[in-house]
Amino acid sequence: MKKILLLLVSVLFTLSSFGQSSISYSPVNTVTKVGDTLIMKFQYYKVDGEALTLGQFDFEYNNKLLSYISHQSMAPTGASFARNNWTGYKFNPKANSDEDDMDVQYTWWKDEAGNASYSTSANWSVERVTVQTSAAYTDGAEFVKYSFKLKDKFNSGYDNYNDIIKVNWANYQEADGTGIQTEKNPSTQSLSGIEGGNAGAFTINLKTANSTKTDYSYTIKNSSGQSVATGTFDESGQASVSGLENNVTYTAEANLAEDASYLDEVVTVSDLALVFAEAIGAGSGPSGGSTTFDYFIQDVMGDVVGDNDGVDFQDSYEILAYLQGVTSGNTNLITQDGQTEDYSGIESTYGAVANNTVTFAKSFTPIDSDASSKTIDLAHGLRGDVNFSHSWEPSVSSGEKATSAQTSSFRISSAAGTKYTQTETANIDLISEINDEGRVVFSINSEIEDMVGSQFNIVYDPNILSLENVIFDTGNEMTNFSNVIEAGYVRVGSFDQNVSSTVKVGTPYQLIFVPVEDISNASGLISFRVKEGVKADGTQINFIIQ
Amino acid sequence: MKKILTLLSLVLMMGCYQDDDLVTLYPDQEVPQSLQIKELIGIKLESTIVTDRVAMNVKLPLDGKYRIKIRHGMNNELISQEMITAGEGDNLLKVYVASLEKSGYVIQLTDEFHNILGNQSFVVN
Repeated sequence: MKKILLLLVSVLFTLSSFGQSSISYSPVNTVTKVGDTLIMKFQYYKVDGEALTLGQFDFEYNNKLLSYISHQSMAPTGASFARNNWTGYKFNPKANSDEDDMDVQYTWWKDEAGNASYSTSANWSVERVTVQTSAAYTDGAEFVKYSFKLKDKFNSGYDNYNDIIKVNWANYQEADGTGIQTEKNPSTQSLSGIEGGNAGAFTINLKTANSTKTDYSYTIKNSSGQSVATGTFDESGQASVSGLENNVTYTAEANLAEDASYLDEVVTVSDLALVFAEAIGAGSGPSGGSTTFDYFIQDVMGDVVGDNDGVDFQDSYEILAYLQGVTSGNTNLITQDGQTEDYSGIESTYGAVANNTVTFAKSFTPIDSDASSKTIDLAHGLRGDVNFSHSWEPSVSSGEKATSAQTSSFRISSAAGTKYTQTETANIDLISEINDEGRVVFSINSEIEDMVGSQFNIVYDPNILSLENVIFDTGNEMTNFSNVIEAGYVRVGSFDQNVSSTVKVGTPYQLIFVPVEDISNASGLISFRVKEGVKADGTQINFIIQ
Repeated sequence: MKKILTLLSLVLMMGCYQDDDLVTLYPDQEVPQSLQIKELIGIKLESTIVTDRVAMNVKLPLDGKYRIKIRHGMNNELISQEMITAGEGDNLLKVYVASLEKSGYVIQLTDEFHNILGNQSFVVN
């Protein structure tokens, strides 16, 4: 009897082991050297699992060793296909679990981990593929093919091409939504026998706080100022340039595309607070004096009027006018939709001060015998972005302002030696609800007591909602602003120019929308992008919404 | 006898009905198969890949206030949030995505106090 039971258990165990579907991924071609194109296929194996109508999976690749070129949907005719990607993230598998168990890892990501499922990691990019079909997916059918360019491991921080692609989780479902048990094969993808890089190749590493590196381009010029090479950076912020000659001096510069979708989020109330504080501090500049800035480069970036006279009240009022949506009469240089004013230079000297002038050295000379001269780090900044939200914060010591010079009222309340551009987080509640009159009311509820400024960039669907009113209850001293940047995009906020009064707690802002079609609920109709505040001591508050 | 029982049932049902401001959405509408939720509580979209708007079923344990949250599919950051007042059982609603960036998201049902009752991933394409 015991033996029969044992046999039964063994059979059941075997059945359950082989009953799982799988996500399989493997190279289509053989790659042998740097610069080759690696084609990866991702496919479905049913084994004896259930009929799959939704296949969704998430994989990560090492962006220092691979550069995304393209993808090709292999979904059958009539199926829906979607591809998403994010650079700078790496998956954290569920602790004490089988990393190959894809449905366990999916549940961990979706239901259990919260914001712990991915960590920020500059060396990794995450891809997500979703295929939905009405007919059951065929056993062995492919979901997608990806093409990657193989990058040189020199200066990448990696000694080999092991574990460069890894599927993180898979969400396989039947038509009624029932989940299908899934495993992956292999656990990770490695490459071997890759020959070294092109000796003539030159590498540029872009240095910026902006996570979207592919929006940047580079230009290399010779000593006559003629352009000899141009191109764009890959998702990791790297560009490989060929054709440069040894022992010849060139210059390099980086530029951000003027049609990037987030340019209206670069200069915010936090930058305004810094520039106002600097103007109050009076007369700062490369020559020193009283200042709230940490770096001399901020004097250049904050000079949004462009009079080359450092930062003064004209600059602060210009930024306030910009946030209010008021035309000031000046032709300002504030980074905004359709307008960028770039600064770039070799990172090691970016923002250095020489002869009382902030410098952006751009020259470099490749030398055949010096491998380190074949790579440069190119730092980039934007006019108006004095809190470095989308710009590189300098590292060169001559670019830093002395703490002793930072004597304004703003600076006094900070701990000695603390960077002024510090941030902290605070909880806030942003929520929409349909009221008794059928209006959609978007409320910003705050219990934060010490904000001298706040800003919210709110996106709504202009085909369904019409903005009727913005109600402020911020206190009597605040300068409030609300301006529609474009259809479906409104900027709302407040700032006290005396940097003393604070935004009233409670519900300081309410946006009232009238639906232009019948709706029963408003999920997704209103979303938020910029949401930040600034304290009297200059600290930026990044709001967390539960 | 049957008629009396039916009448009695109706009277009892009417007696139990509370005239409050709960939003009972599409009360006579049957839940299509694509939106049926097997569990007692949960949230389900008609499709995982969405382009403009999509039907959604929110199955609730009790009448009351609930939150529907849309979170970023990578960093879990809250992107959009709505408070609904709805009734026990199935509630057929919609999610409007035309103004959301093309990306991956998780839609989440919580009670008024942020306790999670259900999640579903979706993609705006």
